[in-house]
Amino acid sequence: MALIALDLTVNGKQTQVQVEEDKNLLYLIREVLGLKGAKEGCGEGDCGACTVILDGKAVNSCLVLAVQAQGKELVTIEGLGRPDNPHPLQRAFVEEGAIQCGYCTPGMILSAKALLDYNPSPTGSEIRTAMSGNLCRCTGYQKIIRAVQKASNSMAEGKEVL
Amino acid sequence: MGLKTVGQRVPRVDGLTKAVGQAVYAGDMEMPGMLYGKALRSAYAHAKILSIDTSSAEKIPGVHVVLTAKDIPGINKFGLAILDQPVLAADKVRMRGDAIALVAAESGDIAEEALQAIKVSYEELPGIYTIEAGLADNAPLIHEEMGTNLLQHTKVRKGNIQEGFARADVVVENTYYTQRAEHAYLEPETSLATIDVSGNVTIWTSTQYVFRDRRQIAPVLGIPTNRVRVIQAATGGAFGGKDDITTEIQAGLLALKTKRPVRVTWSRAESMVCSTKRHPMKIWCKTGATKDGRLVALEGTVYSDKGAYCSIGHFITKKAGLHLSGPYHIPHISVDTFAVYTNNTVSGPFRGFGILQSALAHESQMDMLAERLGMSPWEIRMLNA
Ligand code: FES
Ligand code: FES
Repeated sequence: MALIALDLTVNGKQTQVQVEEDKNLLYLIREVLGLKGAKEGCGEGDCGACTVILDGKAVNSCLVLAVQAQGKELVTIEGLGRPDNPHPLQRAFVEEGAIQCGYCTPGMILSAKALLDYNPSPTGSEIRTAMSGNLCRCTGYQKIIRAVQKASNSMAEGKEVL
Repeated sequence: MGLKTVGQRVPRVDGLTKAVGQAVYAGDMEMPGMLYGKALRSAYAHAKILSIDTSSAEKIPGVHVVLTAKDIPGINKFGLAILDQPVLAADKVRMRGDAIALVAAESGDIAEEALQAIKVSYEELPGIYTIEAGLADNAPLIHEEMGTNLLQHTKVRKGNIQEGFARADVVVENTYYTQRAEHAYLEPETSLATIDVSGNVTIWTSTQYVFRDRRQIAPVLGIPTNRVRVIQAATGGAFGGKDDITTEIQAGLLALKTKRPVRVTWSRAESMVCSTKRHPMKIWCKTGATKDGRLVALEGTVYSDKGAYCSIGHFITKKAGLHLSGPYHIPHISVDTFAVYTNNTVSGPFRGFGILQSALAHESQMDMLAERLGMSPWEIRMLNA
């Protein structure tokens, strides 16, 4: 397969990469950029474990061709907080017990971030709709929804800034 | 009392690492010179293998090794409780998804291409897809050496069943069927195996039980157990489905043969076809109660569809029988359980270990008894608990 050169912004950094033209964005993220936070659960758009934010929208990176990221802005879980300075969503997921095996977590948090960036004070049902493409087999969804609500509240109160 | 942990809300120790995406699952690990391993899966549920031709696969550039049953240095068997599952099917396949050959290659794409190039010729055998067919006279045998498809029969006896039913004013009798279920943990099975200069094998894997894993891996690799080290990576869900060996032996064999690190990851489709499932069961139950609602007798049979291999399903089937009375006191009990091999996907552990199947039966019986007796479902349960 021919290699294609791409220019994109990865977690705020202008980046140039080469990738085979038939590969998906998840492959570009994990294998070329070496960012292992995005996970593959199904490879066919069912589970949401591979969710990343592309130009402000949550996408299943297994369903996007790598070349479609040309010129776009990509945010992965590595672009949010670090352990010593977690993003409010990451903190809320830990505090609310919304994480068990953690395999769904990066995708969950990025779906939630895309939602809060666009709608900072979502209702419960708006959260449910925004997260409906992300499956979790361990935790169930109540605590995850509570975590998103909590992050939204703490951000709105100005206690936390993005 | 001022306890620091007991009774307090404490965050998970690994919560933050997972929230920031730094937890390392086996599929996130890479090693210099790492190869990608894949397995060729059986196209039939029950068939003789006439021949396997790996020659064209071996010639594909980037393919390091193609292994079949004859290349296994140790025993070609594994199993949680009984060694009845081949690592690579030699003479015949017993379920769709039995592994037949393994490939290690420079990339996943090359390994996939190599699988396509392996030619297997089969002679299809009559398949067994129901418990009844497995137990029929002259049923084709799934494990010939056993002489039967009945893996195990257990009995529970308590009191005197005739006496119990003689005291019953109402009797409810029904047959319940439960379905096969997939664990669908979000992380598909993955192992990364390496071998050091002294021949020690280390395997990072998505598993539930490292010690049971190494006890099954070592005999296949033909090395002592103390030369196999299994490390559980962050594991993306399991629910019983990663209790059995999945990718560990496949990665181990390929690393042993290539002397390179090898990672094996099953696709979701492969995980669906090959991994253990919750046992489908057929449960017949006859429950007797007095007119004031006291349970006096339970008679039952539990038949489980084992699929092609035992895993730990003989125990799970027995447990379904042990739990058929539910949480209730019943003085007279007679329950038989039967674990039956079929050519369906192997059944194994899944949250509840057979108890869920039983619960469907005993709780449905309770509701029906309550209805017959004109009692509330709550009342009859409290009376007998
Ligand atoms: S891996 Fe992309 S949706 Fe499941
Ligand atoms: S925590 Fe395991 S899948 Fe969500």
